[in-house]
Amino acid sequence: MNVESASFAVSWVSEQSTGTRALQKEQQLNRFLAEVERRALRIAEISVRDRDEALDLVQDAMIKLVGKYSDRDREEWPPLFYRILQNGVRDWHRRAAVRNRVMVWFGRATPDGEEYDAVAAAPDPFGRSPDEELSNDEAMISLEAAVHGLPARQREAFMLRTFEGLDVAGTAVAMGCSEGSVKTHYSRAIHSLRETLGEHYG
Amino acid sequence: MGKSNETFANEAKTRFDESVDKLDAATLSTLNQARHRALDGLHGRRSRWLTWAPAAGVTAAVVVAVMMASPSQVDTLPTELTDMEILLGEDSIEMLEDLEFYSLVGMLEEESDVG
Repeated sequence: MNVESASFAVSWVSEQSTGTRALQKEQQLNRFLAEVERRALRIAEISVRDRDEALDLVQDAMIKLVGKYSDRDREEWPPLFYRILQNGVRDWHRRAAVRNRVMVWFGRATPDGEEYDAVAAAPDPFGRSPDEELSNDEAMISLEAAVHGLPARQREAFMLRTFEGLDVAGTAVAMGCSEGSVKTHYSRAIHSLRETLGEHYG
Repeated sequence: MGKSNETFANEAKTRFDESVDKLDAATLSTLNQARHRALDGLHGRRSRWLTWAPAAGVTAAVVVAVMMASPSQVDTLPTELTDMEILLGEDSIEMLEDLEFYSLVGMLEEESDVG
């Protein structure tokens, strides 16, 4: 075998190895996203109170994670994924605020002077009546409403720590802040929620 | 208070997990499609790389063919070395010293062949 043939063979074997690694990486990503997608959807849904919007946000987060961070180690994906998702949620709220200001400009503000909330004013996406909601899962609905009512950073810290199970360091990466800030936000969130939901929980 | 906070968090987590388990089939299907759409991006990146692979293969083949078709140093070097060995060998130097003798012998052999 001459030098050229040997070089070609080595190159071919290298390409095969690269292809195998790419396939393994894709399988890892698929498993990770399948594992996290349902919780991520519910977390996004609690934040924006709209399932379709939450689905869009989760899909965007998936696409960005695959596009930008697929080469990272598996352990880095959860905080990176939730960082992308939380950024998407914050952007969504900014756009919603602008949209609400435009609606106020066109005279669609609520009578008590509060900003018109198109999402809150929309019918329940599952067509549930208030009675059905109460009988169906009152505790979760109460929790969801209370979590949604938290300040954004407290809400993020609480959901990432409690619902997703990220540790303090992972939550800090996902929120883009220090671990000390995570602890503060989380502590305040817990106290606020317990005050609101005291009769239902703990 | 610490214990109560932990109990509260556990209770909230249980409620949350129940709500995740209750997601309807249509939503799960949409999530599944979204995941595959995202992973298609990975295929796209790889397929872009693969589109260049045939071109790179053809280029490599052409380079190899050109190198094999044209006389290379590897092929010519031994021949040149062989000539030099013949010229610089001890016997060859002796032959060069008796060149006139060998020329004469050659001429005589040619004459005898003709005759």
